[in-house]
Amino acid sequence: MKALVVDDSAVMRKVLIGALARADITDVEQAADGQEAVKATEREEFDLVLMDWNMPNMLGIDAVKAIRANGKTMPIIMVTTEAEKSRVVEAIKSGANNYIVKPFEPATIVEKIQSVFK
Amino acid sequence: MKVEYINPFIESVVEVFSTMLDTDAVRGDVGVSRAAASNPRDIMALIGLSGDARGTVALSFPTATAVAVVSKLLDINTKTVDDTVCDAIAEIVNMVAGSAKAKLTGDAGLPLDLSLPTVVRGRNFEVEYPTKSIWLEVTFESGLGPFNLRVTFEKL
Repeated sequence: MKALVVDDSAVMRKVLIGALARADITDVEQAADGQEAVKATEREEFDLVLMDWNMPNMLGIDAVKAIRANGKTMPIIMVTTEAEKSRVVEAIKSGANNYIVKPFEPATIVEKIQSVFK
Repeated sequence: MKVEYINPFIESVVEVFSTMLDTDAVRGDVGVSRAAASNPRDIMALIGLSGDARGTVALSFPTATAVAVVSKLLDINTKTVDDTVCDAIAEIVNMVAGSAKAKLTGDAGLPLDLSLPTVVRGRNFEVEYPTKSIWLEVTFESGLGPFNLRVTFEKL
């Protein structure tokens, strides 16, 4: 399984990669903003995307819309500080499959990943 | 700034330290500063809130606390303040502000936006904000060392 971790914080990408490893996902690419994420998904196939919301150049929510507009159907999980229900609804309507609010425990990442593949 | 506005930020600090760092953060008393706030520590991360309210959230860390936070967050052993430490401190303040934003706006989802965080190193600077702003400050003790939370926040 190949995952794409999208976050403008290199530290948060490392944290997420560590959490993915707990779910036995070690083939991971990284993107630092929404634009890079869209390009990465155009370049290669991913089985899972973890997507931040607030990033420079292109917001995560806009990247989700662009990825879906390109016909990509892999599960996308938002991992963001945007905790309001309205944001969750907006993300799901835009094509995200699940939503994790920062701060999170690593076990939460594993649970959410497992839930999108059920 | 109403004193109760700082409570969501205090709660969020405790949550971030508990969840991401597996460490208790214990707050001290809330202090008030009308003057422009100089950095009480070695490294400060700031983030702005805008929309139906405006404000700034700042976390200030001594170097020892900052590197301890990063070491814990990434399960590494680092001793010096580098880009990784600055990035981690920025992400901590981002999570604190984001979590507090949700508590402040509730389920209604009032339009509040976060800026991207800024990190400043060194003590020889002052943080200016629009006239009459009041900063509330709380000192925390944690298993990773002391640090300060500063908030100025006004609903428009």
